Amino acid sequence: MRIKAKTAGISFFILMLGGILISMAADYWATEGSKDPLKYTDGEFAGENNPADIRGSYSMDDVHNAFDIPVETLTAAFGLSHEENPGSIQIKLFEEIFGIVDGKEIGTDSMRYFVALYKGLPYVAEEGTALLKPAISILRKEGSMTDEELSLAAENAVSLETAEINETATEDHDDTVLMEIKGKTMFSELYDWGLSKEDVEKILSMPAGARTMSVRDFCIANGIEFSTVKEPLQELLDNL
Amino acid sequence: MAKRVKVRKWIQIIFFTVAAFIAVNHSLAEVGKPIPLIGEASLHAICPFGGVVSIYNLLTTGSLVKMIHESSVVLMIIVFLSALIFGPLFCGWICPFGTFQEWISRIGRKLFKKRYNTFIPYKFDKYLRFLRYGVLIWVLIMTAWSGKIIFADYDPYYALFQFWTGEVAVTAFIALFAVLGLSLFIERPFCKYVCPYGAVLGLFNFIRIIPLRRNVSTCISCSACDKNCPMNIPVSKKKKIIDHQCISCFECTSEDGACPVSSTMEFNTKKLEEK
Repeated sequence: MRIKAKTAGISFFILMLGGILISMAADYWATEGSKDPLKYTDGEFAGENNPADIRGSYSMDDVHNAFDIPVETLTAAFGLSHEENPGSIQIKLFEEIFGIVDGKEIGTDSMRYFVALYKGLPYVAEEGTALLKPAISILRKEGSMTDEELSLAAENAVSLETAEINETATEDHDDTVLMEIKGKTMFSELYDWGLSKEDVEKILSMPAGARTMSVRDFCIANGIEFSTVKEPLQELLDNL
Repeated sequence: MAKRVKVRKWIQIIFFTVAAFIAVNHSLAEVGKPIPLIGEASLHAICPFGGVVSIYNLLTTGSLVKMIHESSVVLMIIVFLSALIFGPLFCGWICPFGTFQEWISRIGRKLFKKRYNTFIPYKFDKYLRFLRYGVLIWVLIMTAWSGKIIFADYDPYYALFQFWTGEVAVTAFIALFAVLGLSLFIERPFCKYVCPYGAVLGLFNFIRIIPLRRNVSTCISCSACDKNCPMNIPVSKKKKIIDHQCISCFECTSEDGACPVSSTMEFNTKKLEEK
């Protein structure tokens, strides 16, 4: 069988389109990360979306879709109502916009914390995570948390003015130099920063995950609260 | 003037445009202004090499390397399948960076005329061509070790399509400028000496179902095929051309390319003398 250039070109197109269509039909084709958070697997909230799985790549729209909280509420809670296209703001930008204020962090975990309090879902925020004061006002009116949870969040809240002052100071924030454990930190990074596998496994109380797995994903998969692992690991890193 | 494979040129333009469009649209999406009705796929999502570097991760953790999506795995399978049948058609027809180098080569051809693409003696060149397997092994090991797409920091293709984003490493820009400069002397220098994905696809030349064949009895030994091969393969010296550098561009063939004698140089499942 002889093949001409035209035949080869057309065949490739057919192969490509066919392959893509088949993968779409099989629900495998994805050009972006999934924006469906994991669900609670047991307890009172089994089957509901777990705010612990909100990732930095989520936009305000994604959080709205997953947790049915209006985008206006989310943006107001983080003082971003004035933005031109608030629904598309990615949560990972919080670290750039706010960063660490008075030793407290307004980042991806702040969104997890806010969503959990708003919806009355169980979630233990990471050590140092804070909310902005507008978020506390919203929670006071619309939140589903207990009074105790609200007062704890209010105690740690950061005023919007202070956070905005910090904006420029965090522009050149370098994660690798800071050796700061975040949701996306992989086991390989812990080892690269100087922790031994034994150190890590001692804190996890079980064999560590694959090098390329994030610690947070590992914790979620093994039913461990990330914050309970993050803090002692960070302490070890700080003492290196 | 030699014939050029027109259909290939058009397909190259289409895929180059698609890649550029996706790269720009992704940047627009990040600032909340995506082009309506178009997804927000990143350049990584449409790169089949992302599937290759994710194989280890997929087998060991069940997940893909950071920033790589399932679409890369699908495209990897499609490209492997096409390479099994036609050889590395992806390199010669689809890869936007191969296309880019070919466009730059036009300037080189004008500058150096017949000397273009002949500066490195074949006796050295044929060994230099194995460099890309070293790059491939390094990329696979480092990606498996780190779980990150290590090659992006050195990838001139990434630099070309993301230069405005501020996410491109200096090393990738250096690689891009090096390729730009070398393309004025050598056709497809990145493909020949560095490209790890080209290295993978090149291996399919040894098992491809439809190989390139030369009819020795009708060949007039004019060497038009040699002169027009962008990869400098000595096509006229072989009966069945099995070379890890062939990119299935059809530039040497009788029907579509430079060969002046009909039915003498063809991609064919059967030996040409037996017809």
